Order: sequence, then structure tokens, then C-alpha cells
Amino acid sequence: MADTPNIRIEVSDGASIPHPGDKGLVTAWSIAFFGALALLVFLITVMADPFWDILQFVADGLIITFQVTIFAIMLSLPIGLLTGLGRLSTNKKINLLASTYVEVIRGIPLMAQLFFLYYGMGKIFGVGGVPAAVIAMSVCYGAYMGEVFRAGISAISHGQTEAARSLGFSARQTMRLVILPQAMRTILPPVGNEFIAMLKDTSLVSVLALSDLLRRGTEYAGQYFNYFEVFALVSLIYLIITLILSKLVSIMEARLNYYDRR
Amino acid sequence: MTGANPIIDIRGVYKFFGNLSALRDVSLSVFPGEKVVIIGPSGSGKSTLLRSINRLETVDQGMVLVDGVDMNAPDTDIDLARRELGMVFQNFNLFPHKTVLHNLTMAPVVLRGMPVKEAETMAMALLEKVGISDKALVYPGQLSGGQQQRVAIARALAMSPKIMLFDEPTSALDPEMIGEVLEVMVDLAREGMTMVCVTHEMGFAREVADRIVFMDKGQVIEVGTPEHFFTSPKHPRLQQFLQQIL
Repeated sequence: MADTPNIRIEVSDGASIPHPGDKGLVTAWSIAFFGALALLVFLITVMADPFWDILQFVADGLIITFQVTIFAIMLSLPIGLLTGLGRLSTNKKINLLASTYVEVIRGIPLMAQLFFLYYGMGKIFGVGGVPAAVIAMSVCYGAYMGEVFRAGISAISHGQTEAARSLGFSARQTMRLVILPQAMRTILPPVGNEFIAMLKDTSLVSVLALSDLLRRGTEYAGQYFNYFEVFALVSLIYLIITLILSKLVSIMEARLNYYDRR
Repeated sequence: MTGANPIIDIRGVYKFFGNLSALRDVSLSVFPGEKVVIIGPSGSGKSTLLRSINRLETVDQGMVLVDGVDMNAPDTDIDLARRELGMVFQNFNLFPHKTVLHNLTMAPVVLRGMPVKEAETMAMALLEKVGISDKALVYPGQLSGGQQQRVAIARALAMSPKIMLFDEPTSALDPEMIGEVLEVMVDLAREGMTMVCVTHEMGFAREVADRIVFMDKGQVIEVGTPEHFFTSPKHPRLQQFLQQIL
């Protein structure tokens, strides 16, 4: 349709989402995924010593990694939506607040925010490692996602708003029933990218004495001095998870295109 | 017309876009059941005038009364007032993520609290009327321009408005699709709907309009019956305009 431009918003350095149109068997995604999977299986079976041992040791780090990622995703989505709406608001104060938030957060490295929250604020207010990590990551990614939401919403033609308002829908109903469902389509791929980037960035929490995947690896390697094997395995695990995530996002993306099928 | 009160009463309206004055002291009354066609060169302010009726454009001076409601008053519930005004756009503006049927039922169900079954029955009847009931379950993107515009008219009618506003409804259509849309509009006019229509379709204006309004440079230049317009236009600008398009 003329009034729903098929644009792709690229904002982050997240992993690239496989394009839903890529139907071939041999895609970059399938090579990476099945290659990584085969290598992982090979390592933990054929070379069980030390890889099986390492895997068992780092496995519980995955729980922390997933915990932080899932909670941070759940929290950053509403933050991002509110920020995006705020950035589009005609109310000057709300707009300024949202814009300032984005400007400030984007200018501070996530690592510095993590340190500040955990060592600075956390020690004062007694915030634990996981909550501190979740808050820091969702505040940071909420700002990035705010920009994605803003771009996605403003890509919907103004005619849609005019049509809905002419029927008698309020501004809020128009956003909820007409604009957001359409914006989801353009928003999903870059938001998926942010999810993947988030999962990778949870490795930063290892500096907060949180036993995530990377930290568990470091602990093991520190004990047995087999850095090569440990970090090869840890990298493989991260890679496999992010590849699964990116596939899920591309499947959802294809589903959201339902009304374009002819 | 009769001595009835006008259902649309536009009084001394001004509208500025920066330094440009889009409307200058425009007044126009439309009576219930009347069909008014607004014509004029592009940039003459005819769309702005039409859009000011349902406050898609606010006016800077003057008053727009619809059914006695001051559309620009701060205490007017504009969402409520707009339900009585159906609007049809040049670019259709159907909701692409909803099926044709859902495009029609959405507003009555959400805004008027109509039961879904009842809304669907009514929507099917409207689609039947615009000759497109076989497309009820497809998405707008699968329809031709003419079909989309007919759905858009049906969608506006689904709210049972008192007045229908048309903003160049055939201007974005391929020539072979203009007829089917005009046909629906003529039918609607015959049923007695109050209509205000901005269009370049002179045949439609001649056939349907009770009054034609000619605008140029933000002003109403001449108002009259189709007969008057096409046989004895007075103002030189109107004469020139008619020469160019007829």
C-alpha cells in the first residue's frame, strides 16, 4: 500500500536479522547456526575432556544471563514505547523530558552505567546484582528503543491518523488501534536487533560479580588455565543463542506481514 | 432552500499557513439534505475549507457550526462531533492491517458500543450497497483503487453520519475506476444524504449538486446552481476556470 512505506530501520550494532525473504537452504544463518551446533556437539562428545566439564561448569551462568536478558527486555519495551511516544508528543514538557533522557543515556557507556548503578547507587540503596543489572540495561536500551519506536510510529502516514480521528476515535484510541499495530511491523526487526544486542551485552554484568555465562567461564579458566577452550565454548554458546533469537525475530517479522500477502 | 436551519454554518472563516492565507473571510451554509460541490483551481483553499468542517484544520478566525455545535470551541467534544461527519479522502486511508469488514465494523463497535454481530450485518449491507460484498474478508492492499474508495465510503457510512464530506474522492484513481466511485456517490445523493464534495468531476457536479461553490485564492468567488454555473458564469475567473477544464 502506498501509505505504509516498507522501510527498514537500522539503528544498532546488533546481529543482523535474517531477511524473511531468504528462503534458500544455504543461507548465512543456516551455515552459522548448523556449523556452530555441529562444532558444539563435536566438542562435548569427541573432546569431552575438557569441554564437557567446562559446559557443566558454565551452565548455571546461563541462568543469570537469561534472567538479566528477559527481565531487561520486559522492562525496556514499555520504557522504549513511552519514550518514543514522548519524543513524538506535542506537549513540550513531555517531549523535552523524553528527548533529554535519550540524549543523556545515549551519551554514557553501558559499562559506566552498570558501575554507577551497582557500585554507586547499589551500595547506598542496597540493590542486588541482578536488579542493578536489569535496571541499568533496561534504562540504557529503553533509550535506544525509544528511537526505534519513534521512527516506526512516524513512518505511518498521517492519513491514517486523519481517517481514524474523522471517524471519531480519540488520539489515544487512534494510536492503540490504528497506528501502533501498523508500526509494529517496521519496529520489530530493529527491536529484535536490540534484544540480541542486549543478550550479548549481558556479558558486561560479569564485572559486577554476577556469575553469568562469561563470568563462569572466566572462573573456570582461572582455575585450569585453559583459556582457549573455555572462551571458544562460551563464544559458541552465545552464538547459538543469538542465532536462535534472530531466527525467531525473522519468523515473527514474516507473520506481521500478513496483510501484504496477495 | 427552505427556511430550515443550516446543518453546516461557516461564518467569516480565516485560515493562515504562516504568511499564506488559505481561507479569507469564507462563509457558507449547507442545509439538511443539500448537496454542495466545491470547485476551484489547486491551492484555492477548497480542501482546507472542507477539512475545517470536521476540524482536521482549525480556523484562525470565524466560526464553524455543525448541527449547532461550534467545532472550534475548547469545550466541544470533538470526537463526539466528528461521529456525525463522514469523511472520504483522496487517498482512501483504509486501515491496511484490518480486513475490509473490520474496517467498517471497528468504529461502530468501539465508539457506539454496537454488538459485533449487528455491526457485521450492517457492514455487509453497506458493502452490498457499494457493490463489494464479495471482498469483505480481504485486506485493503488486495483491492483496486476504485474498490478501496468504495470501501472507504462504506466505512464512513457505517457510523451513520448526518453529513458526508468528500475530499477529491476520485483524484487518485485511474480513469476507468472513477465511474464506479461516482456511481456510489450519486446513489448516496439520491437517498437524501447531506453532502459536501470537493471535486474536479464536472459531470458529477452538474448531475448532483444543488449548489456549486467556486473558490479561488482562499475566497468564495461565486455560488450558484449548476445551471447558472455552466450557462451563465459571471466572474471572469470562473469563466476562465470553466474554459480550461470543460
